[in-house]
Amino acid sequence: MENGEKIMTGEESFRLITEMINRTKVNIRNSSFHYLFWGWLILACSLAEYILWKFIGAGSHWYVWFLSIPGVFVSMIYGYRTGKKERFHTYADNIYVWTWMAFLIAAAVLFIISSGRMQFVAPLILTLAAVPTFLSGFIIKFRPLIFGGITFWIFALIARFAGNEISALTVPVAMLTGYLLPGYMLKRKVDHEKV
Amino acid sequence: MKRYKDLDPLLHSQLRLAVMSILISVETADFTFIREQTGATAGNLSIQIGKLKEAGYIEVTKKFRDNYPQTKCRITELGRERFNEYVSALKDYLNQR
Repeated sequence: MENGEKIMTGEESFRLITEMINRTKVNIRNSSFHYLFWGWLILACSLAEYILWKFIGAGSHWYVWFLSIPGVFVSMIYGYRTGKKERFHTYADNIYVWTWMAFLIAAAVLFIISSGRMQFVAPLILTLAAVPTFLSGFIIKFRPLIFGGITFWIFALIARFAGNEISALTVPVAMLTGYLLPGYMLKRKVDHEKV
Repeated sequence: MKRYKDLDPLLHSQLRLAVMSILISVETADFTFIREQTGATAGNLSIQIGKLKEAGYIEVTKKFRDNYPQTKCRITELGRERFNEYVSALKDYLNQR
């Protein structure tokens, strides 16, 4: 575009508007980092908790979940740094970020009100985590995340009704289907689009 | 009934309309991004952004990031109104033909 004063026909104007709007579709960026980071972190924590509970029988096996607190800071710092480098921000980006912030706050509140009854937390957290995962799939138009969110709800039901042994293993399995698989697929998609 | 000449002259030019079309769909966009998407030269784009800013259609903020200047643009409420009016005027005009 060389001249700002170039006058267009009506059709040219519409074509230009459509073309420019299409260039600013939702920016899926590096959000795969968060799915992979949290997928692996929660998988590790839940397996560690299972091992402690099963083989050592420690009464406070759920303390491993305190590892998620530094995880929140890692995620926020990463998000802040990458966000600053982005060359445009869409309204959908904001909805995306605040959907996850709302989940974070809700999860923290849930942990506090469930203290002392931690055996009930897994199905509740999975139910809660399904919401931003499911919505994110729609926001960034990425179906594996929608399915990932649905699997969280399925595993939440299994965790509630399947008995202690199986319940303890639902969280790590849910991480595979809800975060890690969609996370790697998203990463591959972003890497592919960069080429 | 809209006539062709009723279209906002500030928007009815290629580069300024391209800038406004980008800004209508994002919250903020930086100068380099707009330049790449429109394919305009930096000088020409600066002039057209200046005109849109002067009319109150967009806001421009300048910051430093890693010691480099960064110019960010955002559409204003007035700009959004004018853009919507422009699109509906354009539709009327095309429907009349």
